[in-house]
Amino acid sequence: MKHGVIAILPLALGAAIYGFAFGLLAAQVGFPWWGVGLMSAAVHAGSSQIVAVEQFASTQTVLGAALAGAALNLRYIGIVASLSDILAGLSLDTKLLAIHITGDENWALTMAERAKSPDVGAAFLIGSGIVMITVWTVSTTAGAVVGAVLPDLERFGLGFAFTAAFIAMARGLWRGRPQILPWMVAAAVTIVVISLGLPKAYAIVAGTVSGLVMSLILRRASGVVA
Amino acid sequence: MSGAHWAMIGILALAAFSIRVLGLIAGGRIRASRNAWVLDDLPGLIVVSLVAASLAGQPLQTWVAAGAALGAAVLTNHVIATMVIGVVAFAGLSVIGQ
Repeated sequence: MKHGVIAILPLALGAAIYGFAFGLLAAQVGFPWWGVGLMSAAVHAGSSQIVAVEQFASTQTVLGAALAGAALNLRYIGIVASLSDILAGLSLDTKLLAIHITGDENWALTMAERAKSPDVGAAFLIGSGIVMITVWTVSTTAGAVVGAVLPDLERFGLGFAFTAAFIAMARGLWRGRPQILPWMVAAAVTIVVISLGLPKAYAIVAGTVSGLVMSLILRRASGVVA
Repeated sequence: MSGAHWAMIGILALAAFSIRVLGLIAGGRIRASRNAWVLDDLPGLIVVSLVAASLAGQPLQTWVAAGAALGAAVLTNHVIATMVIGVVAFAGLSVIGQ
């Protein structure tokens, strides 16, 4: 668990910056600081929270805003499903805790590290997840408390740090040439869907599903899957 | 905090957790089926889609920095080293572009 706690720290720093900015936004539309903290701990889904709060601010429609936010989190069906091996053997309580504290960053880091070393498993996922949900909750609450103007940290490349981290994780998950075409299809479909004006979260789901379809076609062609 | 604020937090929390539980149920079923390969392929495809989503519509500078990060990832296979090199490349290109 300690390994996961330490390994996730650079990514947690980046999440803290976005968390702080989200806290400012939520405070502006009437959420008290403790309400922001409660939301972050209970929901633990950055993009969903941001969209839901923005929608709530502009439409004042509770159900529509909440469902629009939740829809952005559909990729977690695939993310949690891919943790099946790691979570096998854990109690139901621990599984439910683990899936709640799983976010993009600690999930991807766990999968990439596991690809290098099979010893990496549930302890790493939970250790890194505890850090991420703690940092997210504290930073969003702090943003709501401070209410100050966030300096433009994006131009220093802090936003790009996440992209670089995901590129490194993709490298860790690289298994060889059979992945080239499915990965290219996933990337291309994601970019095309975004260029059509749809939200990024939907594009990620569309890209992933398209990559899976390509993988299935290749496996059938090679006789691996009937 | 108004009732609407409470309701939004409650509905969003319930919906987000339900999606995760759906993944937990789906994962167990897929692992036991002949489609277990899906669980092997999913992580890479999701991560690649996340990267593509970050780069879509971005200026050339971001794509070049991503290329530098990819080079660092291939050479080092290390997350932090790739982040450092990627951010330095991005910041350097930003300065040059100003």
